[in-house]
Amino acid sequence: MLAITGAGGPRIAALNEAAEAFGLMLGEPLADARAKAGHVQTRAIDAAADDAALRRLALWATRYTPTASPWCEELWGEENGADGFFLDIAGAAHLFGGEERLLADLSCRLEKNFGLPARLAIADTPGMAWALARFARASSPVLPSGGEAQALAPLPVEALRLTADTCRALRRLGFKTIGTLLDKPRAPFAARFPAELLRRIDQALGRIEEPLVPIVAPPVYHTLRYLLEPLLTQEAIVALASRLMHMLMHVLTRDDVGARALRLSLYRVDGAVETIDIGLTLPTRNVAHIVRLIDLKLEKLAAAEDAGFGFEAVGLAVTRAETLAALQNELIAEDSVATNGAERCAVLVDTLRQRLGPHSVRSFEPIASHLPERAEELRPVTAEASAAWPEPEQKPRPLLLLPHAEPTEVMALIPDGPPRRFRWRGVTYEVTGSEGPERIASEWWRQPDGHRAPEPTRDYYLVEDSGGHRFWLYREGLYERETTAARWFVHGLFA
Amino acid sequence: MTQPTAQSVMRNRAAVAEELRRLLPKMERFRATRPIPFGLAAIDRYLPQGGLACGALHEVVPDEGATPAAFGFLAALLARLSGTYPLFLVLPTYGLRDYGRPHSHGLNALGLDPSRLILAETAHRKDTLWAMEEALRSRAPAAVAGIIDQLDLKTSQKLHLAATDCGLPLFLLRPAKILEASAAATRWRVGPAPAARDRFGLITRARWRLKLERCRNGRAGEWMVEYDHVAHRFSLAAALADPAFPRSAGKEAFRQVS
Repeated sequence: MLAITGAGGPRIAALNEAAEAFGLMLGEPLADARAKAGHVQTRAIDAAADDAALRRLALWATRYTPTASPWCEELWGEENGADGFFLDIAGAAHLFGGEERLLADLSCRLEKNFGLPARLAIADTPGMAWALARFARASSPVLPSGGEAQALAPLPVEALRLTADTCRALRRLGFKTIGTLLDKPRAPFAARFPAELLRRIDQALGRIEEPLVPIVAPPVYHTLRYLLEPLLTQEAIVALASRLMHMLMHVLTRDDVGARALRLSLYRVDGAVETIDIGLTLPTRNVAHIVRLIDLKLEKLAAAEDAGFGFEAVGLAVTRAETLAALQNELIAEDSVATNGAERCAVLVDTLRQRLGPHSVRSFEPIASHLPERAEELRPVTAEASAAWPEPEQKPRPLLLLPHAEPTEVMALIPDGPPRRFRWRGVTYEVTGSEGPERIASEWWRQPDGHRAPEPTRDYYLVEDSGGHRFWLYREGLYERETTAARWFVHGLFA
Repeated sequence: MTQPTAQSVMRNRAAVAEELRRLLPKMERFRATRPIPFGLAAIDRYLPQGGLACGALHEVVPDEGATPAAFGFLAALLARLSGTYPLFLVLPTYGLRDYGRPHSHGLNALGLDPSRLILAETAHRKDTLWAMEEALRSRAPAAVAGIIDQLDLKTSQKLHLAATDCGLPLFLLRPAKILEASAAATRWRVGPAPAARDRFGLITRARWRLKLERCRNGRAGEWMVEYDHVAHRFSLAAALADPAFPRSAGKEAFRQVS
C-alpha cells in the first residue's frame, strides 16, 4: 500500500489486491486503514519514480505509433491521475490487424513484459478514451465513430477529467452521470462552473480539438521494423538500419527533402528503449553516409550499451527534414561519397563528430572585443557561411595564446618601461628588442556589479629574446593610478 | 673520353625522368598532384619536382623550445595553399599543452584566414590518427595538419599512403625529443631567429632557421628564411646585412644592460 500526504493527514494513494480484500479504498485516510487492517505495510509514494516509470512505459509504447503522450506531462495536470498514456494510433492500427488486435497485443505485452494489468480503450477523442478506459464496464472497449454522446451518457461525472471541487459541486446539485449534463442548456453551466466543465465535455465529444503532447518530438518520416528473432549484434542492427534508411529514401526523394536529424530507436525485449540521435551538418539523402554515422555511434555506445536479450524492434525516424536540391545522390559519385566540396566537408564533419563528440569539430568566429582572450570563439562548424574575418591589424597578435596569463618576474629599467629581462618557467630570457606598449583597458561594461573594482588596464609588449623567441608580455595596472607594484604576465607566444 | 659519356648519360637520364614526370600524372587515377612550390628557388632546387609533393606526408620538427616557431612555419605553409577548400587541423588536447592554443587573430596576422580553418579536437592519440586519416580520405580539405608526438614507422606509412591516395598534403607537427624513422617525404627542423625589422626597429616579418633534414629524392639543406604574411611569400633573410640587429645581438645587448 502506498500513502500520500494530503490535507488532513496521509491518505491511501495506491493499494494492491491483498489490501483491497480488507475493504480498503483509495483516498481513505491512513489512520482509518490502520484501524481496519492493522498489519498493512505502508510506504510513502515516490512521485518522481512514478513519473520516470510512466515515461519509460510511454517511450516503449512508441513501438506502436510515434505519438505517445504520458499523463505526467504538465499539460495534462493532476486531474488525469498521472497513471496512463495516450497513443495516437491513427494510421497505425492496420499494421497490427485492426484496432481490437492492437489492443489485445498491447494488453498482452504490458502483462508479459512489465507485469502490469492495464485498462485500455480506443475512441476518437482522447477525452472519450480516457473516460472509457477508467469507467467503462466492458474491458478494452473500442468505440465506433459518432457514438461518443451515447457512450458518455451513463458514465459518472468523474469521467470528464474535472477537478475534485467541480465534481463535488456537480454531485451536490444532483448531476451523477454525464447524460444528465448533456441535454441541459449550456449557459447556466458556463455561468456557475469553471470553464473546464464545458471544455472537457466538448473535448470528449470532439467539438474542440485536444492536441496530444508527444513524449518524443514527432518525427517527420518514420519507419519501424518488428523482428521475430531479437537482434544482438551491431552488424545486424546496422544492416537493418540501412534497409530502413532505403525505405525512408523513397519518401524523402518524393518530397525533395533531406534528413538533418535522425533518431534510431532500439526496442529491447525487456521493454527498455535505446534512442540514438544523429545530427547532420547538411541535409542529406546519402544512405551510405547515414549508415556509416549510425555504425560509428553504435561503436561508441557498444561498451556502455547493454543489449540484454536483444532488440525486438528497430525504428528509424527523420526528426528534422530540410529541402534539398535534387542533384545530389549516389549516382554521381563513384564511391558513394558526395562530390562537391561543401557536401564532402559536411560528410567529414558529421563523421568526426560521431566519434570525437558533438563539440569536437569547431571553427573560429571573431568577436568584437579588444581583450585577446575574448576576441575569438570556437563554434561548432555549421553549414552557414561564417562571418568574414577583419583584415589583420597592424598591432601584433600572438600565434599561440596561453589559456591563462602566467605570472613572470620582470626586470625593467623604468617602472613603466619595456622589460629588459624576464624569467618564465624557470628560464631567464634577455630581451633584445621590444615593441609597445599597446594599452588594452578592461571592459568595464561587463562588470557584473558597480562596486567591484574593474580589472586593471594591461600594457602589452611584444618582446624578442636573444635566441629569437618572441613573447607577448603585459604589465597589469597603470603605474601610480591603479597600482604601485605592477605585476607582469606572459600571455602569448609568437611564431 | 669517359667524361662526355657520363654527361650524356646524365642528360639522358634527366630527360627520361622529365618525360616520366610529364606522363605520370596522366596515369594517376586522381587529380594531378602538382607540387606546392616555396616560391623560393634556393629551397625549391633541393626538392624533387621543384616543390613540396602534394600527396605526401611532411614533418615539421621544432628545435628545443621552438614549438611556436614550428607552428608558425606550419601555418605559413597552410596559408600559402590558395583556394576555397577548408584547411583541417587536428589538435590533440595534449598536443600544444605547454604552449596554449592557436589564436585566430595571430593566425590571421600570419596570413592564414581563420574562417578556412576547421579544428578537430581529439583526446587520444588513436583518435588523432583516425581523424587525420578520415580527413584525408574524405578529400574535403585542401590540406590536413596535425600535431602528434609519437609516430611509429608503420603508422606513418599508413598516413603517407592515405595522403598519396588522395593527393592531399599532410603536415605533421612533431614536438618530440626522439624521432623514430618515418615514411615522411620531407622533414623540416625549425628554429627561431631574430625577426626582420624595419629601420624604426619594428618587427615586420617572422624569421626562422629552416633545416631540411630529410628529403626523399632530394637533398638536405639549411636556410634562414623570412615570411611575408601579406604576399604569402618566403624569402631568404637578409638579416646579416642589417647592422642594427646582427645575429649575436643578444650578447651585446646583455652587455649594454649590465
